[in-house]
Amino acid sequence: MVNELREKVRKLLADGDVELVIGWEKGSRALAATPAFIESPEDADRLIFDATCGNNPAVYFTKDARRLAKSGRKVGIVVKGCDARSLSLYLAERQAKRENIVIIGVPCRGVLDRNKVADAAGGREVLEYSEEDGKITVRGKDLDLTLDAEDVLSNSCLTCVYPDAREYDIFIGEARDRQDGKDQNAALDEFEKLSPGERWEKMTEVYSRCIRCYACRNVCPSCYCNECFVDQNDPQWVGKTPEITDTMIFHIIRNLHVAGRCVECGACERACPMGLELLLLNRKAAREVEERFGYVTGMDSGEKPAMADFREDEKQDFIMG
Amino acid sequence: MVRLEKKGFADFIRSLAADFAVYAPVTANGKSGFKVIESAEDIDATCLVTDRSPKEVFFPHSEVLFEYDREGVREVEQPAKPIAVWGLRGCDSRGLRLLDMVFGSARQMPENEMFQDPYWKRKYDHSLVFGLACNEPRSTCFCNWLGGDPHGGDGSDVFVVDAGDAFLMEPRTDKGRAFIEKASGLNKASGKDEKKAAQLADAARKMMNPPGELDGLDARLKAVFNEDIWDELAAKCVNCGACAFVCPTCHCFDVQDEGKGGKGKRIRIWDSCMFPIFTMEASGHNPRKLSRDRFRQRFMHKFSYFVDNYGESLCTGCGRCIIACPVNVDIREVVRGVLSYEDKGAR
Repeated sequence: MVNELREKVRKLLADGDVELVIGWEKGSRALAATPAFIESPEDADRLIFDATCGNNPAVYFTKDARRLAKSGRKVGIVVKGCDARSLSLYLAERQAKRENIVIIGVPCRGVLDRNKVADAAGGREVLEYSEEDGKITVRGKDLDLTLDAEDVLSNSCLTCVYPDAREYDIFIGEARDRQDGKDQNAALDEFEKLSPGERWEKMTEVYSRCIRCYACRNVCPSCYCNECFVDQNDPQWVGKTPEITDTMIFHIIRNLHVAGRCVECGACERACPMGLELLLLNRKAAREVEERFGYVTGMDSGEKPAMADFREDEKQDFIMG
Repeated sequence: MVRLEKKGFADFIRSLAADFAVYAPVTANGKSGFKVIESAEDIDATCLVTDRSPKEVFFPHSEVLFEYDREGVREVEQPAKPIAVWGLRGCDSRGLRLLDMVFGSARQMPENEMFQDPYWKRKYDHSLVFGLACNEPRSTCFCNWLGGDPHGGDGSDVFVVDAGDAFLMEPRTDKGRAFIEKASGLNKASGKDEKKAAQLADAARKMMNPPGELDGLDARLKAVFNEDIWDELAAKCVNCGACAFVCPTCHCFDVQDEGKGGKGKRIRIWDSCMFPIFTMEASGHNPRKLSRDRFRQRFMHKFSYFVDNYGESLCTGCGRCIIACPVNVDIREVVRGVLSYEDKGAR
């Protein structure tokens, strides 16, 4: 698979179809692939794709006040299903031009939650990683462990029903459409059973460990405001300390701002240096949006995003009571 | 060198806690950091480098400097007990020593009387720092690049080696010596103990990856300041503050007033050069407008500006930023990138 990927990318660059391809290459740590920016055909061999490729590369279109998206450069981008949904969102929100993007889909079997792997390794450092047929093997000093991938995948992947890109120019292998049969929302169902007070208590506990580094926001393709509300200081909307009220305002406003725009890629959870359960409220918002407006983010770049559209027949009980 | 039997460790911590607020590595919810402990049982002895750095013991994420109302300004009451920190690895105890150059200049650099920070000094000056040798450094550890040593104990008042059945302790400062003389339950270490400590040190040094060459880095950084290399190095950085917030030496801060109804407080809060608002000016002009300009600042500060001001690098090789970075920016690769750019230029 990876050879085909490299071959296709090499050709795209050699033929001048794109100037740049964003994908992943081996990182400096065993469990962390790192985003790769490939500009010459011979560098295509650096590309990899496996369960360590947890970042959502779409974010690089909008980083730096949408510098790349606005540059007019033709860019190839290697995407998992969720990453492709982010691109579809960008197209729907007119943040990128379709003719400037070559979407290269790769078959995704889910990406790792490094905290789960670390737990399984019991504090021993993972120095080598390999994967085969739904099993992953990690090795290190006094460590040689083979695990079921399912046990150490990101929460976002355990509930993912669109593992592969739906809109693409090139697909490596055969793209799968919706994959049903997963217990899509078990954690969310549990959360919804809680009383409002219990939900508040749970989220307070989670956010109380936040260090306000904004890694979650900055790796999120859906978070691309030129100036985030937490960075505004005239007026200043929110306090900057990790005091719980202000921390919750940050997370809940971010949550509401990506409602109907979050593709549930889970990049936020994987980025969090404190290992916080950040996706839960985003999934809750996604479920609300789907139930009310029949809209699932990033399914179709031609469809108006839920929050940018109005239909006469849509559910309005939140207004009418 | 003195010896503390592990079976006497609980008593040791108990008696230490009588005089000090004792901070040590504690793991909760899968992440570790330095917290006040009640007893030796709270300590996570498996921790090498904690997820959160110990700088927050003396320089917390947010610290109330004073409170105010219509009547006037009040200092915030300080805890009565001085602070003792147990289990600081060499990178972290060195980190505190570097921070003390910035905040407490008198103690380390009497000639530098620019500024002494009372909030730092009232904690750090009365503290007792127990360094703990690293017997098993990790692949992300690179203190040896910066002249550090897994058994170096730079910045410790008392340097401790875990020798299996006992802790071997060596005082490094007058404060450390005074403590050791007074402490109970300690015996003089034998020649065998000293040999064991030396063996562990040798083994740990061999376990580390060979150090990278940093000669000329400061000059190279200054020389490539305006070069395109920064676009390349910073391409994947998303400018979050994870690196700065887990770093044992990043110390830039913001000051905020939080007030309502005629009263309030002034707070010092961690800040990061990665954030766009860090250098935003009142006019709306931002001298570090692009991601790569902010990225560059972090490395300039660590390996150039701090060297200019204090004669050392502001990086201790703990590797936390390598672990925490969501896109695997590796500080070692950035440094190598800058140094190898010289080669390209020379060709």
